[in-house]
Amino acid sequence: MATPGKVPILDRAMRVATGIVAGGALVAMLAIFVFLLRDSWPSIQYNGGHFLTGITWNIGNLYGNSMSSHNGVQAPAGATYGILPFILGTLLSSLIAVVLAVPLAVGIGLLLVEYLPRRLGDSLSFIVEMLAGIPSVVIGLWGLAVLIPWIGRDFGPWLQAVLGFIPIFRGPVGSGQGLLASGLVLAVMITPIIAATTRDVLRQTPRETKEGALGLGLTRWEMIRAVSLPWSASGIFGAVILGLGRALGETMAVLMVSGSAVNYLPQNIFSPIGTMAATIVSQLDSAMTDPTGMAVHALAEIALVLFVMSVVVNVPARILLSSAVRRGGDAQ
Amino acid sequence: MSQAKIKVENLSLWYGAAQGLKDVSVEIGEHAVTAIIGPSGCGKSSFLRTLNRMNDHVPGTRLTGRVLLDGEDIYARGQDPARLRKRVGMVFQRPNPFPMTIYQNIAYGPRVHGQRGEARLREIVEQSLRRAALWDEVRDKLQKSAFELSGGQQQRLCIARALAVEPEVLLMDEPASALDPVATSKIEELIVNLKESYTLIVVTHNMQQAGRISDRTAFFLSGELIEFGPTRDIFTRPRDRRTEDYVTGRFG
Ligand SMILES: Nc1ncnc2c1ncn2[C@@H]1O[C@H](COP(=O)(O)OP(=O)(O)OP(=O)(O)O)[C@@H](O)[C@H]1O
Ligand SMILES: [Mg+2]
Repeated sequence: MATPGKVPILDRAMRVATGIVAGGALVAMLAIFVFLLRDSWPSIQYNGGHFLTGITWNIGNLYGNSMSSHNGVQAPAGATYGILPFILGTLLSSLIAVVLAVPLAVGIGLLLVEYLPRRLGDSLSFIVEMLAGIPSVVIGLWGLAVLIPWIGRDFGPWLQAVLGFIPIFRGPVGSGQGLLASGLVLAVMITPIIAATTRDVLRQTPRETKEGALGLGLTRWEMIRAVSLPWSASGIFGAVILGLGRALGETMAVLMVSGSAVNYLPQNIFSPIGTMAATIVSQLDSAMTDPTGMAVHALAEIALVLFVMSVVVNVPARILLSSAVRRGGDAQ
Repeated sequence: MSQAKIKVENLSLWYGAAQGLKDVSVEIGEHAVTAIIGPSGCGKSSFLRTLNRMNDHVPGTRLTGRVLLDGEDIYARGQDPARLRKRVGMVFQRPNPFPMTIYQNIAYGPRVHGQRGEARLREIVEQSLRRAALWDEVRDKLQKSAFELSGGQQQRLCIARALAVEPEVLLMDEPASALDPVATSKIEELIVNLKESYTLIVVTHNMQQAGRISDRTAFFLSGELIEFGPTRDIFTRPRDRRTEDYVTGRFG
């Protein structure tokens, strides 16, 4: 046992340590932001708002001597940097992923916590956690080898036939690469993440409250609707946003199945797309050859936009989740 | 004493390998208050929870014997536990309101059981709250979260919630153990009033309380029902030595 004088000191040390860690994280975030801002500054000057609204990405004629110049910064002749297709590709593929993943993941979470016998639930839980840890390149490879042929041959034509009356399901299926494949691959990636978090949050629902519902003659499903879901709502919402954040930033898996489109706005669910993260990777090689360096600055600006997007999505999610977990068994 | 509402025959209960109840047989009278007393861990809650099949949800439990409600075995095949629990309500040791408004806490049960019509629901809410002696304290804040109530108010809310689905039997597991004397006496008064319409079974650690509210008392020890009879007899002239030791405070 510590002497009475020691406890406050330990306590204070603990608090200081927590403060340093939290502060360190904040400083790191800020440093990344500043670094990205500095790196993309020439691109911001050169492109202005057109960067976000333009649909043409063309790094210009790298071998001529002519330059175009804007606001005092130079870029190769003919260069335009518009990333609207990448923004849309990112948002739409993530949206598809979330729409598909959420019901599935919440269903899995409920199954694990409420329906399966303890032991089966625990082993399935373990599998879900394993799935959440699969490297994205592996899932990308699976997408390439299995998913894309399936979409191209079977699923795509079937979707067209069944839902073709809705414009977004019309259009050539092509090889199977594109928006749908990207959304599906992302859904596969984020479902286990959302499911695992949902399971953790659902487990926090106090047993007494659940028994209170059963005691009124509610069935298990009615109990879940009355107690478990309301109790866990903010935590599940946080989990979903966390999954969304993951989907927005995913690079490798999407790169492998998206069709890597440039200068092309997605027309329907089968359109080839490019996402912001995937484009940074796929364009980096050619951008490096730009003697003015502007193409790399433009890629840095994509990263900056993506970073801001992720922060905007993640911070509220973390806050929701941590308050949901801290609340634990207590009143909300 | 009136006729038996619940008949328990040779009931034994196991948690895994450990036996929680040992060959319990008892008849519980209609429109009466039956108190369950005994030292901690003797099986009072276990017994109560066999009467509405709440132990079904505890993994690893096993049960033998029969529990008859109005002559029907509640553990027979084809019996629906949810339907049973609508008839046999429960109030728990710790207040456990739903994460909703005060109004919704009470309206939820009737609504799930098919009661539509907001006007009728409002009636049920008011009537239930009045019966639980809570109406005057919450009438102006029905749309507030139930968690804004005090512990004693929350417990009365839970009683009102149980009453709102119009059970026939009400099981109460130490309903006043977390409450101060004022709230406790309110709940005791409530229990006595409720027996006109309901059959009540109340677990309590408090001998005086059992004496004040109950018509009959059952004394449990290590999972066995040691003695069961009119409350006055249990406290003034118990037949079993162990009952006497317990009610006179010599152990437990
Ligand atoms: N879920 C459970 N799993 C295993 N054993 C249990 C479980 N619930 C109760 N028991 C055991 O069964 C016995 C009776 O417990 P019970 O909760 O019925 O006692 P009680 O009389 O209500 O006690 P208290 O007055 O402390 O509430 C105890 O020995 C307890 O350890
Ligand atoms: Mg108990």
